Amino acid sequence: MNVNATPPQAFANMSDKELAREEMIIARKYLNRFSWFMVFWWITNLTCWLSLWPLTMTGILPLWAAFPIATLNVILCYLPSHDAQHSNYAKNGSLRWFNELIGYTSTIPLVLPFKIARITHMEHHTHTNDPELDPDYGVKADNWWQAIITGIKKRQPGQPNSYGETLQRLGDDPVVRRAGIEGLAQSLAFWLIITVLAWSGYALEAALIWWLPRYIGSIYISLMLSWAPHFPNPERGRYRNTRHFESSLGNVLVMGMEHHIVHHLHPGIPLTWNAAAYREMKPVLDARGCRSESFHG
Amino acid sequence: MIKTVMQSLGPWGPVFFGIGFLAPLLSTLMINFNVSPPLGLSTIQAGLIIGFIVGLQAKLRGRWL
Repeated sequence: MNVNATPPQAFANMSDKELAREEMIIARKYLNRFSWFMVFWWITNLTCWLSLWPLTMTGILPLWAAFPIATLNVILCYLPSHDAQHSNYAKNGSLRWFNELIGYTSTIPLVLPFKIARITHMEHHTHTNDPELDPDYGVKADNWWQAIITGIKKRQPGQPNSYGETLQRLGDDPVVRRAGIEGLAQSLAFWLIITVLAWSGYALEAALIWWLPRYIGSIYISLMLSWAPHFPNPERGRYRNTRHFESSLGNVLVMGMEHHIVHHLHPGIPLTWNAAAYREMKPVLDARGCRSESFHG
Repeated sequence: MIKTVMQSLGPWGPVFFGIGFLAPLLSTLMINFNVSPPLGLSTIQAGLIIGFIVGLQAKLRGRWL
């Protein structure tokens, strides 16, 4: 059946099985595609952020200009890694290393260890909106500005680390243990590097290219990637735990998250095609009772 | 072993941060804004004192501000 040729009201009368079939027909068009755009995004963003260091240290670029660029780089660095977490560049085979390379390097500005990100993100998919088991549930807030305040509070000393708690819950699995060691090594490397930079006369560069952008960027990412697609977090279930929303900021500034429901239904569709898949899938999703709301709910 | 070390040192993170990063950062800011520390202290001495105090209060209170 051609979904586009089917009148929308016809979907309301379809059985679950028929809707599932229609959904899969659309999803298969986009699943397992290789997104050159995401590769371009990864290499451009990482190169830009890395180049800020020599450019500012040699005085070519003033720090006041580097700071907003670095903040943008941190905000943009997560999503190429996110596709790698789902192995969307290569599930196996000769390009598998390339998938892992993007995953490991993309989030250097954010200092988000890849294996921890992957494990906790899979837990998020498995237990979306579960107060006990969803590692991203902590962003829950009644509105966007409270979500920002929650993000700031979560980053205060001694606050529980939901990703650390998730690793502990998953137990003594070798993969989890290795993720923990890699995460510890990467975090210590970050603090060591910015400390060495600060004591070498580059304190402002370390603060304005890495430390502060990382702080701001991680809060923005939490807001747009965790809070906005799952707000207000009470519902569970495949078709209700994530929503489609429309933001006055536009889909670009919310980093493609308006169509995040497609990602939760079919994580194998690269971010590049979530919007196209959503537009095609919309009658099916409407028939399923999926949520389509404004940014504020 | 690693876990034990991290559990012992982790809570002192804000103090390490205050001494390791905030101190030289504050020193640089004082130099850039021509601020002279009191009591004849050098900028880095002042940075270390402020960084330590800020880090310690963050550790004790559980928040930076």
